[in-house]
Amino acid sequence: MDFKSVEDVQTRLESSNYIPSREISTVIFLAQATQKPVLVEGPAGVGKTELAKAVSRCMARDLIRMQCYEGLDETKALYEWEYAKQLLYTQMVKDKIDHLLTDVTTISEAVEKISSQEDAFFSEKFIQPRPLLKAITSDKPVVLLIDEVDKSDPEFEAFLLELLSDFQVTIPEIGTMAAKSMPFVFLTSNNYRDMSDALKRRCVHLYIDYPELHTERQIVQMKIPGIKDDLLDKLVGTIGNLRKLDLKKKPCISETLDWAKSLLALGADEITPEILKDTLNVICKYKKDEELVRKNIEYLV
Amino acid sequence: MLETILKFTACCRAANFYISTAQTLDCVEHLKLIDPTDEDSFKTVLKTNFVKTQRDNPKFESLYRLYFHDMEIDIDTEINEDKEIKDNVVDSLKNFAKQENDPTFNVLMEFLSGDPHDYLGEITDIHNRIEIQQAALKSNMGQLALRLDVMLKINKLRSRVLELVKGFGENAAPESRENVELHFAKLLDKAYEILTKEPRPDNVGLKDIKNTDKKYKNIGEKPFANLTPDEMSLTREVIDQLVKKLKDITSRRFMSKNKGVLDIKKTLKDANKFQGVPVNIHYKNKPLRKGKIVTLCDISGSVWSAARFMLNILFSLQDCFSRVKSYVFVSEVCDVTSIFDNNEINDAIDKIMSEADIEYDVPTDYGATFSEFKTNHMHELNSKTTLIIIGDARSNYMNPHAEILEEMRAKCKRIIWLNPEPLNTWDTGDSEMYTYKAHVNEVRPCQNLNQLFDFIEDLVL
Repeated sequence: MDFKSVEDVQTRLESSNYIPSREISTVIFLAQATQKPVLVEGPAGVGKTELAKAVSRCMARDLIRMQCYEGLDETKALYEWEYAKQLLYTQMVKDKIDHLLTDVTTISEAVEKISSQEDAFFSEKFIQPRPLLKAITSDKPVVLLIDEVDKSDPEFEAFLLELLSDFQVTIPEIGTMAAKSMPFVFLTSNNYRDMSDALKRRCVHLYIDYPELHTERQIVQMKIPGIKDDLLDKLVGTIGNLRKLDLKKKPCISETLDWAKSLLALGADEITPEILKDTLNVICKYKKDEELVRKNIEYLV
Repeated sequence: MLETILKFTACCRAANFYISTAQTLDCVEHLKLIDPTDEDSFKTVLKTNFVKTQRDNPKFESLYRLYFHDMEIDIDTEINEDKEIKDNVVDSLKNFAKQENDPTFNVLMEFLSGDPHDYLGEITDIHNRIEIQQAALKSNMGQLALRLDVMLKINKLRSRVLELVKGFGENAAPESRENVELHFAKLLDKAYEILTKEPRPDNVGLKDIKNTDKKYKNIGEKPFANLTPDEMSLTREVIDQLVKKLKDITSRRFMSKNKGVLDIKKTLKDANKFQGVPVNIHYKNKPLRKGKIVTLCDISGSVWSAARFMLNILFSLQDCFSRVKSYVFVSEVCDVTSIFDNNEINDAIDKIMSEADIEYDVPTDYGATFSEFKTNHMHELNSKTTLIIIGDARSNYMNPHAEILEEMRAKCKRIIWLNPEPLNTWDTGDSEMYTYKAHVNEVRPCQNLNQLFDFIEDLVL
């Protein structure tokens, strides 16, 4: 079901266990109303992918996810011919082909006759759809998540342009296939490399930063309902302080949640430097970061 | 509303913040869907359509504040008497500008009347102006003189406003006079701020490496510039070992073509050509593609000691990249790739100092180097190129031309800046490191062997 207003986005995302800022809700509403893809940027772990998932949940649409990586090409992203099936069918209808050619006298005539039948082998029946084709040929509208698009090659990015501007793809043997239903497209990027201007222009842009204290508090409270208020305040405060340090990998929301779960599992009622030291490997992913936190532990808690 | 958006778009373009017509159309379309009187929603619509990467956000924020707040576009709420005095002052200032017959006064007058477009264009021109100078007599005076001229004219207008407001005497309430004085003072302060403070991109994706593993204890931590001849040859040996090790690892990586799971589909597809006989076997593992490297090395003073070792490693590892192209500069750029292609690495490094067409007795000028690179060598950069710049970013107070570095960034995959100076001296004196840092993808200190190894391993593996 489509969103009716910004407030509707806000309420429905919250009911899907995602706490959006006013800006996020506005951008989602505008993108859906004008059928524009959303390019979501931000540090790792701030909820970019989760946003697409939450939108699919609250719109009751299927989520089709495509993870981008170096070397991703259209055979993995769009479609591939089912060669084995084609070969099998050729063998199975061999008699029929022989029959077709019974009254043929010259080779060129035979070629002419066979080529008039070749559409049978290069039809939608023999196409194996990949995420992008699945998304636009789906009868029901879906949410299409193109994750970490900055990891893909520039060629793939160029190939996405046709899909994102006209919601259609061209398959040389068949022709242009237009979308049966409009997917709601999300592209996420971690800024490993800059995306091309052409791609950026086709999308509405959304930057998600680390959440503010009160938003992070709400998120933890929603995901881990049993946590005490005092502990929660200290937890988000300490995480906020940790993010101010020059860490190689700053703790993201999922690390805050993991840490909260660890503290509950240990039965901790408050956060002391000792407890932080004991549970540091839940928050820090690099040895150097751990050392830096240990050095500043008194200031952090 | 449409006119406001179009004027704002024009101002953004004048300030070198490109917005396409399609973006403006989308923005207008989106504004129909929200309540434009709610500023948060209005700003979100403009931001989501005009800012296409977080890097552009500071520029957008400053232009938005200028146009929709500092310029006080919404004048309906203004007290009538204040408006009358303001109009009077603007008229008198316009006459004054007419008498002076100076284009800078004219654009400043437009700015004071609420239209910042021409002033933003003029300041962008001054910031980005490229001066043709003789190498021996380089100075940044041209640009500084232009900026000083604008500053003096701002001050002249400031005193003129004071005189004019005072001239109203008893004819205007003291409160109104104060309001008007404050209004123009604020605008002139803003004009001054635009001239002197350019917003820097929010470089959110910057990889800022400060600490590295201390792999080698003594020689690994000693700055390249302080190495004795014995230590230098020892360093070369260590580098040779590292190169050999890296070559082994990467050759295994790039030669993995015939390994992994059998790709049945591709094999069958190919077998069609041979009546179903699988003559060519295909595997699912795709060998990784090699990237192209372009290096731009400052070879003035102490920077060269680090750059030579870096070039030594890069050219020894040529097999790991599709191409290594190398340029060196002091104030002019020189292509030294052929020297590396035709000589043994250590000979090539010595030859660069003796034979390359480089003038050493001139001050380093990064801005001029970037400008020359843009004119003559920009075609070497493409979306698969990694550009490595080695330099201390000390540009002798010349115009840094960071906007050209931004153009280079847009053309290539990544820009990595290696600075051979200790971290605590970056951003001091004539160093433009703080400026350039906002435009590159990665910055690293590269003062000793450990730091160089860390970088090379990260680059190759």
